[in-house]
Amino acid sequence: MPRPEQRTITFTIDGLEVQAPENSMLVDAAKHGDVEIPVFCYEPKLGNPVGACRMCLVEIEGIPKLQTGCSTPVKDGMVVHTQSDRVKIAQQSIVEFLLINHPLDCPVCDKGGECPLQDITFGWGSGVSRFIEPKRHFVKPLELSPTIAIDRERCILCYRCVRFSQEIAEDYQLVLLERGAHSYVATFDGHPYEAPFSGNIVELCPVGALTSRAYRFRARPWDVEDAGSVCTLCPSQCNVSLTVRDERVMRVLARDNPEVDDGWLCDRGRFAYPRLGGQERVTEPLIRDGGELRPVSWERALEEAATGLGRAGKSTGALAGGQATGEEGLLLARLMREGLGSPHLDSRVAGALPLELHRALGDPSLQAKVSDLEFAHAVLVLDTEPIEDAPILDLRLRKGVRRHGMKLLRASSHQLLGEESARELARELTAAGEEIVVLWGERLTAGPDGERAARALLDLAATLSLAETKGAGLLEIPAHANGRGLREAGVLPNSGPGFEVVGEDGLDAPGIAAGLIDGELSALYLLGVDPLAGSDWDSARWERALERASTVVAHAAFLTEGVRTHATVVFPAQAYPEKEGTVVHPDGRIQRLRQAVAHPGATRAEWWILADLARRVGIDLEVLNGAVASRLLFEAVPFYAGLTLEEIGGKGVRLEDRRATVAHS
Amino acid sequence: MKLLFKDIDEPGLCTLEVYERRGGYDSLRKALGEMSPEEVLHELEASALRGRGGAGFQMGKKVSFLPKGSMDKYLVCNADESEPGTFKDRELMQKTPHMLIEGIVIASYAAGTTRSFIYIRGEYALPADVLDAALAEAREAGYIGEDILGSGHSLSLVVHRGAGAYICGEETGLLDSLEGKRGNPRLKPPFPANQGLYQGPTLINNVETLSTVPAIVRIGGAEYAKLGVETSTGTKLVSISGNVRRPGNYEIELGIPSREIIYGLAGGPPEGREIKCWFPGGSSAPVLTPEDLDVPYDFDSLGKAGSMLGSGAIIVVDDSTPIVDLAMKVAKFYRHESCGKCTPCREGTNWTVKMLERIDSGEATPMDLDIMASVQEHIIGNCLCVLGDAMAMPIGSMIAKFRPEFEAHIEAARGRNGLGASTPIASDAALAAQGALESELPPRGELAAHGAGDQAPGEHRGAAGTHRGGA
Repeated sequence: MPRPEQRTITFTIDGLEVQAPENSMLVDAAKHGDVEIPVFCYEPKLGNPVGACRMCLVEIEGIPKLQTGCSTPVKDGMVVHTQSDRVKIAQQSIVEFLLINHPLDCPVCDKGGECPLQDITFGWGSGVSRFIEPKRHFVKPLELSPTIAIDRERCILCYRCVRFSQEIAEDYQLVLLERGAHSYVATFDGHPYEAPFSGNIVELCPVGALTSRAYRFRARPWDVEDAGSVCTLCPSQCNVSLTVRDERVMRVLARDNPEVDDGWLCDRGRFAYPRLGGQERVTEPLIRDGGELRPVSWERALEEAATGLGRAGKSTGALAGGQATGEEGLLLARLMREGLGSPHLDSRVAGALPLELHRALGDPSLQAKVSDLEFAHAVLVLDTEPIEDAPILDLRLRKGVRRHGMKLLRASSHQLLGEESARELARELTAAGEEIVVLWGERLTAGPDGERAARALLDLAATLSLAETKGAGLLEIPAHANGRGLREAGVLPNSGPGFEVVGEDGLDAPGIAAGLIDGELSALYLLGVDPLAGSDWDSARWERALERASTVVAHAAFLTEGVRTHATVVFPAQAYPEKEGTVVHPDGRIQRLRQAVAHPGATRAEWWILADLARRVGIDLEVLNGAVASRLLFEAVPFYAGLTLEEIGGKGVRLEDRRATVAHS
Repeated sequence: MKLLFKDIDEPGLCTLEVYERRGGYDSLRKALGEMSPEEVLHELEASALRGRGGAGFQMGKKVSFLPKGSMDKYLVCNADESEPGTFKDRELMQKTPHMLIEGIVIASYAAGTTRSFIYIRGEYALPADVLDAALAEAREAGYIGEDILGSGHSLSLVVHRGAGAYICGEETGLLDSLEGKRGNPRLKPPFPANQGLYQGPTLINNVETLSTVPAIVRIGGAEYAKLGVETSTGTKLVSISGNVRRPGNYEIELGIPSREIIYGLAGGPPEGREIKCWFPGGSSAPVLTPEDLDVPYDFDSLGKAGSMLGSGAIIVVDDSTPIVDLAMKVAKFYRHESCGKCTPCREGTNWTVKMLERIDSGEATPMDLDIMASVQEHIIGNCLCVLGDAMAMPIGSMIAKFRPEFEAHIEAARGRNGLGASTPIASDAALAAQGALESELPPRGELAAHGAGDQAPGEHRGAAGTHRGGA
């Protein structure tokens, strides 16, 4: 599907000649000339403008009436005035109208200090109101949902939340009831607004009408600092801005990165933070003593772990996942391979694929990026449930269907494995066009037919010429948030960093379970994963495996089932707001985590623990801090060569794009 | 000359039999049988017929704006006649429904649309029933359906009943409502001719406009254009109501003096009463005074006189009605009907009613009239659709033309409430008249010392009001 192409035009705004993309809306074009046109209802993320608030009225020469800058596309030679008396009077009157029913309770309003209505009143209002009648009253605040409070008196009826519900999340729950000055935002019959992306309306609200119940009254904007990072609770890896007060995350906001998340967050990502910084966290090292886990010193825990692992040596298996970074994966792989002489490590739940398949599926020319989902002619969702596995991609798919007429198909690997049904699938896809993206889940390759399914997927890609078509390709959703990064770092039984062969193959995840059960392996190292927590694992089998293991070393932020009942040593693990390091998005974008808050209690960084253990079993990994760990990773993976943390920056670097650039220069 | 009301008093005209006996559907036969769509369009353009719904846009031009090509195109008849004082479409639909159906078929032939709707306000239950019955007859007779009279032109027609909202008479609000959504106006552009119903090109016309089409085809566009005056051709139905002796619908030729309609046809105000003011085109038109009675009743002349022809509904108000009551009635109607989508209309109509209530209850001063007038100015031209203007224009005109009566009303109400006369500083205008604005006020410096800043005296109370409003 054609991506928008933009020509640059010249127009005049407030006497200044300005260049801007043709047909961009005036409010956006004005920014190119450092002119700000105030808006309330305009939010390009929500789709077409509605022109409801009338705040952005401007004067355009040749048009008698004032026009809304949010809905007027800029044309070459247009002459616009935003500072004329006519415009100023109109702007002042809109502010006055909006404040008629808006309570002036800014000192006790959560939005105070970061409120567009406050800012615009200050910048474009007249400073006085002539309204002396009683204001509109509603019962307040009410629970719109368990996570969101609504104060209808503060609402300026800008329609943003309703449009989000109707046109972005498509949950169709929020509506405006009544008419005129009596209108209010509500749900049908007052049912709670429960939806996977509901929290975004809090961020969209330009006043204090919709507030987060978890954040309400916890901080004022001048008490807090913002810290940019990446949410690693699922493979979507949305960019977030963490609101931090006194070393605690108080709130999670979206940090716009259209290539990753389009500026939205799911409710899991937005509202998980109280638990991440909560009382249930493991904050000190624990060892099992008399059947019970009890706190010990770091020295004691490290010694206990080193002894256990050293005793098992190459009979140690390791699993990595959860929120583990590439750096941690690399250090774990080196601890295992170089320190313990064991090749038995895996970051995939499904088990290893032959190395050639890993390489073929990861072929740079075959990789689709997130924005391709939006513009593709067709998308095939294969063995994955985006709303569960990578929620934010669900919104992207909806956007593709709604705005660009993308054709959405769903299938399972069964259809791919049947010869006739696979052909039918390919036919249906090509009927829509050439730009086809296959969004597939790691579980496609699970089970006895996994390898065959992977080959069938590659066949399909070849049939559809995905590698040769721009805007087409495969996009895998791995089981773990950083599944792709861990594989690239070498956390696989049959390959080292960058899918290079290193010695003989080890056991994969199912193999490790089998090895522990039949006694071939005696120790297990769990980096951020618990095979008894999470539905992807064969938990009955792992229960038996863990029972047989004599040493189980786990990095855990919470005492989940497997850790609580089977770990012999538990290291407190960092949650993502405390981490530094890099992760790789499913579409190959390497992103940077930056530490936003201090470690709770005695928690230490994973790289420190892994380096210390390595020293105790006889090797020096030469890691001194997080940045050194990143440098080691960039040196170890061939296609990361030359990367720096600075280059990754706040928006990440897509390796496929980078490789193309490197190849060209 | 009567075109629309030619046979209006014929008993049973609503039936196909009587309608055909009086020459009904001959125009349809002529248009579909002997003329090409371009020829029909040409006749419509030549007639210079201006839309009868309120905006007065040339119908032929509107038809020609529809893109050519074979996409799904729609014709929608706006029968949501909700403008206070307007009841001409009701009579047309109730008494001569086949004329509307015939007009729709001919217009759809010219515009190349194959699906059409009549969006009728829910309160018009009887006209809707009559339309349904007429539609069944027309279908039966082959005037609606596939391949009409063997011309190759097909048209479906659905009568859709609205749920009772003034805003659904606004064309884009109507489209949203017809699509099953909340009837809110849409942002224009895109205009319905390009993206209307279900995003397809859509022609929207009023009942009277479409009902005129058969007559134009019958007598020819050029002949039609000879009726009326140059920029307002043809005949027009006028709904006249209020304080007149013979209210009702009259078909007039555009351009006759307004006096002839109000006094000649409707008989003028009741015995012993004088006309105070009159709305020439529905309650959203600025009011005119008896001095304007000789203004010719056509689009441009009324525009020049500071008002508009609108829907052609004349409401006459005599001297028995206080102007404040009239303003209140108008403002309350539009407050009730504002959809709430855009700020100036939603808040402005509400604020205006609250100010009027204060005026009526004796808690206002003449200065509130200045605020009210300025609020009207802030609404006009700044809204998403014209509903806000529809209140602001008449209210603004009432304040401008009847200010002394408003002021007297304020003082009388204050007296009744025992509040005494309003502050001596009545309004800038009043002060200027007394020559007291500069001489009797303390110098500006002194005002500043009292914390009033550099506000003009007129704003003083407004600033104090901020505190009351915010508390």
